[in-house]
Amino acid sequence: MKFAEILRGPWTIAVYTYREGIRKKTLLGFLILSLLVIFGSRFISSFLDPSAETDIDVKLIKDICVSAISIFGMLITVFISASVVPGEVENKVIYTILSKPLRRWQYLLGKFLGAQLIIIVNLLLMGALFFFALYYYQHVWPTLLLWSILLTYFEFLIVSAFTFAVSCVSTSTVVPTIAGLFIYITGNLTEYLKDVQNRAGQTGQWLDALAGDIAKWLYEILPNLQNFSLKMQIVNGMPNDPPRDLQIPNLIIYGLEYGLAGFILSWLLFWRKEV
Amino acid sequence: MSTAVKTTKLSKIYEGALRGRDVHALKALDLEINEGEIFAYLGPNGSGKTTTIKIILGLLFPTSGSLEVFGAKNIHSAAVKRNIGYLPEGAYYPEFLRGEEVIEYYGKLYGLHGRDLKRRLDEVIDLVGLAHARKRLVRSYSKGMRQRVGLAQALISDPKLLILDEPTTGLDPIARKEIRDILANLRNAGKTLLISSHELLEAEMISDRAGILYEGVLQAEGRLDELLLQRDIALEVDGLTPELVEKSEAAGLRVEDRLGERGKLRAPEGLSAYDAIRRCGELGLKLVSVAPRRETLEELFVRVIGAAKTSRSA
Amino acid sequence: MRRFPRLTLALVFALLMALGAVQGRRVRHLRESEAFYRWLQAAAVNERLFQEEAGENRDAELFAQCNAVAGELQELAREAAARGAAEGGEDLSAIAEVSGSHENDRRLWDIARSAELAAPRAEFLKLAKENKLRFARDIAYAEAQQGGVSVFNLFFGFRKVAANFVWIQVDRFWHQGNMYRMVALMKTCVSLDPQFVEAYLVGAWHLSYNATAKMLDTPWPQREWDARYGACVGEKERYYHLAIDFLKDGIRKNPRNYKLFFDLGFAVYNQKMKDYANAVKYLSEAIRLPHERWVPRQLFISQELNGEYEKALAGWEDYIKNFPDSQTALEVAPRRIQRNKARIAEKAAEALMAQAAQAADPVEAERLKADALAKRQEALTIWTNLGDKDGDAFRLRLEAITLREQKRYLEAVALLDKARWELAELWDELSDMIMDIKKEAGIPLSVSETKAELRRSEAGICPGMPEAERQKVLEGNQARRAAS
Repeated sequence: MKFAEILRGPWTIAVYTYREGIRKKTLLGFLILSLLVIFGSRFISSFLDPSAETDIDVKLIKDICVSAISIFGMLITVFISASVVPGEVENKVIYTILSKPLRRWQYLLGKFLGAQLIIIVNLLLMGALFFFALYYYQHVWPTLLLWSILLTYFEFLIVSAFTFAVSCVSTSTVVPTIAGLFIYITGNLTEYLKDVQNRAGQTGQWLDALAGDIAKWLYEILPNLQNFSLKMQIVNGMPNDPPRDLQIPNLIIYGLEYGLAGFILSWLLFWRKEV
Repeated sequence: MSTAVKTTKLSKIYEGALRGRDVHALKALDLEINEGEIFAYLGPNGSGKTTTIKIILGLLFPTSGSLEVFGAKNIHSAAVKRNIGYLPEGAYYPEFLRGEEVIEYYGKLYGLHGRDLKRRLDEVIDLVGLAHARKRLVRSYSKGMRQRVGLAQALISDPKLLILDEPTTGLDPIARKEIRDILANLRNAGKTLLISSHELLEAEMISDRAGILYEGVLQAEGRLDELLLQRDIALEVDGLTPELVEKSEAAGLRVEDRLGERGKLRAPEGLSAYDAIRRCGELGLKLVSVAPRRETLEELFVRVIGAAKTSRSA
Repeated sequence: MRRFPRLTLALVFALLMALGAVQGRRVRHLRESEAFYRWLQAAAVNERLFQEEAGENRDAELFAQCNAVAGELQELAREAAARGAAEGGEDLSAIAEVSGSHENDRRLWDIARSAELAAPRAEFLKLAKENKLRFARDIAYAEAQQGGVSVFNLFFGFRKVAANFVWIQVDRFWHQGNMYRMVALMKTCVSLDPQFVEAYLVGAWHLSYNATAKMLDTPWPQREWDARYGACVGEKERYYHLAIDFLKDGIRKNPRNYKLFFDLGFAVYNQKMKDYANAVKYLSEAIRLPHERWVPRQLFISQELNGEYEKALAGWEDYIKNFPDSQTALEVAPRRIQRNKARIAEKAAEALMAQAAQAADPVEAERLKADALAKRQEALTIWTNLGDKDGDAFRLRLEAITLREQKRYLEAVALLDKARWELAELWDELSDMIMDIKKEAGIPLSVSETKAELRRSEAGICPGMPEAERQKVLEGNQARRAAS
C-alpha cells in the first residue's frame, strides 16, 4: 500500500505532463512531417526503373521510414526532455508543485515518466503511420518494424535521460536542447574515441599517452548509440542475419542502465537546486 | 498564542557567479508569525520577501539560521508541507484543463484521492466561488477566476498556513473585494495567512500584523494599531483667500490643497482637534469638515524605508 | 541515504555507469561476433563454391585457424560430411561443411560468439582493421572494428538510406548509358549496405544484359586471356564476368538469399554464358535455401541442358509429387519428363552404339546394335508422342542421325535443316551437325558455313592464352569433331 502511495504523486505528475506535452503544436508538426515523408518516399521510389521489377521501392520506403522515425523521434525526444522541467520553472508552476508534500525525486520521476509517455506515444503514432503505409505497399504486415521502433525507443531513452539531467540545472529550454543534440551527435561518434586511443602514444610524450588513456576510459564508459544501428538492419529481416534473440534484450538492458543512470544524475543535480 | 512560523537568525547569501559580488538577500532575520492571524509581509522589490517565502516552502535553502513551521524543524517533511498552501504570483494554469481538473491535480499531489478528494474539491470550489464555472476550460477564465483557481489549489488540503504572493494584483475592484472577504473568512476560521503584497491599502484593510523588510533586514514588525501612529488632523475650510494662506501656514496649519476659496488644511502632530478648530476660527476661516487621520500603512512603509535608507547611507 | 544523500546518489550513478559500460562490452561483443559470423559465412561459401584464392589477404589462413579451434563444429562437420559422402560430396573444412545448410546457422552463430573462438575472433578484428581480409571490406566490418575513423561512422546509422539514394543515382546513370560511372557507384552502394540484395541483382542484370545488349560476341582472335577469370574475354564477355564477380560478392555477404544464387546460375551462367555446369551448381544451391516455387524449374531445365537427364527427370517427378495442382505440374512437368526420358533413351542408344563399335565379337556387336536401335526407337516414339515443336525437332534430329548412319547424307541434311528452324535451342548443335555431315559426304559448304567452320577452328583460343590451356582446347575440338 505504501509503495502505491509513494508512486501516486509521480504518476499524477506523469499523466499531467503527458497531457500537457502531447498538445504541443511542435509534436503535431513532426507527425505531419512524418506523413510527408511517407508520401515523399513513395515519390522518390517512383524514380526507379519500373521495368526492373524488384522490391527496391519497398526497401527504400522501409529504410526512409525507419530513418524518419529516428530523426523526428530524436527531435521530439530532445525537445520534450529539454522542456518538461525548465518549462515549469519559467511559468512558475514548479513552485506550486515543489511546495506540495512531494519529494524532489518523486517530482523528477513524474516529469521523466511523463516525457517518456510522450515520446512513446509519438513513436507509436509515427510507427503506426508507417506500419499501415508499408502494409499498403507490400501487402504483408511489417512486424519487424515494431522491433525497430522498440530499439529506437531505448536509444532515445539514453538521450532523453541525459538531456533531462542537463535540463534540471537549466532555467531555460535552450541550453538543454542544444545539450540534447550534442549528446545525440557525440553518442554516435563515440567510435572516434577508440581511434584516439589507438593513435595515442606515438609521439612518446606523456600528454599524448594521457589523452589515449582518457579516450580509452571515455570510450568504455560513455554510451555508444551506434550500438543501436541494429534497428536499421532488423527492419528488412534478411535471411543472412544472425538470430536476434540475444542482441535485442541486451540492447534493451543497455538502454535501461544508461537511462537509469541519466535519471539518477538528474536527481543528483536537482537534489538541492534552488528554484 | 502559538507560533506558526518562526525564523531565528535566518540568512541567505546568493553567491555571485565568477567574479560577481555575493548578494545578501536575508541578514539574520528573526520573524514570528502567530497562528490564526493575517501577517502582511511588506518591502520594496529585492528586499528578500520572496526569498523568505521560498525558504519556508523549501524551494531555497538558507545559508545559516533556523526555521520552524508549527514547531517542526524539518520543514521538508510531508507532514509540514501538507499544512502549507501556496499561491504564487502570476502562476500559470494549464488552459486545456477544466477548472476543477486543475484543482483536482493539486489535490492528488497533496495525497488526496477517492472520496476525500471529491469532497474537498467541492468544498474549496464553493469556498472560492467557482462553482458556476468549474466545468469550463481555464482558457475561458478571467484573471479573477484564475486567481480563484490558484487559491483553491492552495486550500485543497485544508492547510493551516496559507502563503499568498500578490493575491489581488491585477484584479478589478469587485474581485479584490471578494478575495479579501475570502481571506478574512479563512482567518476567522483559524487559518494563518502570510501575505506578501505591494497593495498596501488592501494589506492594511485585512492584516492583523505586518513586517517591513528592507535589504534583508526586518525594519519594523508588529500589530498594525501599534505600528500606525496617529498623525494629524485634516480640515476642510471655506474662505481661504490668498492672504489667509500665509497666515494659516504661520499658524501651523499647512495648506494641502486649494481650489478658489475652498481649501484643505493639515494640523500638525500633537495639536488637538479643539485647538485646530479654534485656530481656524481665529483666522476667520469657515469650517466645512474636521477629520482626525491615522497614519496609513503606505505612509509607515515610506517612513520606515526612508529611515533605513538614510541610516544605510550614513 | 539520509546522512549522505549526495554521496549515495553519486555512488549509485557511478555504479550504473559502470554497469552500462559492462553491458556495452557485451553489446560490442555481439556486434563484433556478428561481423565475425558474417565473415565466417563468406569464407565458408568461398571455400565451398568459389575456391577463389585470397592472394595477399589473410582470409584463408584465418579460416584455417578457426577450423582448427572449433571443436564442437568437428562433430557437426563429420555428420555433414558423412551425408555428403553418400551423395558424392567434396572434402571440405568443418565450417564450410556445416555452413552448407542454413539449418546450422544457429549453431554457427553460437560458435562465432563463443569463448572457444575468442582468439581467432580477436585476430579477425585486428586483421579487418588492417584491411588484410578480402571478405571483410565493407561497412558492417567497419562498424565492428575496434574503433576506426571510418567515413561510414559519419552516416549516424543512416547508411542504408544513403545506399538507397546512391542507388537512385545508379539508376540515373543507367538511363544515361553511363556504364563506367554506374559500375563504380554500384560498388559504393553495396559497400554502404552489403545486405542490399536487390542492388546486387539489378546491378548484375545491368552488367550482363543491358550493358551488353547492343554488343556482338567478341570474335575469338580479338579476345584476350584473362588469368583471373581463366578465360578468353572481350569487352562483352568481361561484363559477364563483372556480373559474376558482383553476384559472388553478394553471395559471400548474403549466403542465405536464394535470389543471388538463382540469378548467378540462371540469368548469367545459363542464359548468357551457356555454362550449364555452373548453372546447375548454383541453382542447386538456390533450392537448398528457402525459395520460391518456380526456382526448381530452372534447375531441372539446366540439368537437362547439361546432360544430367536422370537428375532432371527425378526432379520433375518430385515436383509433381510435391505440387500436384500447380500450373507447372499440370502443363510443363509432364512434357519435360517425356523429354528427359527420350534424352536418356538417346544417350543409352549412343552408348550402346559405341559399345557395339568397340565389340570384338560380331554377334555381341549385333546384339548391342539392336539394343541401341531399340532405344533409339523408344526415344523416337516419345518425341513423336510429344506432339509439339520440341518433339518434332528432336524427332527429326534423331531420324537425321539414323540417315547419316545409312549414308543418306542429303536427306539427313534436309531433316536437320528443318529441325533447326523448329527449335532455336538446337540451332548451333544442328548447324554443326550439318557441316560435319557435309564434310563427311564431301558436299561443299556454303559461304556462311565456311565462315562458321573458320570460327569453329578458332573457337576457344585467343592471344595470351597459356600453352597448356591452348592444347586442352585444341584436343577438345579434335575429340568433338571425331565424335561427330
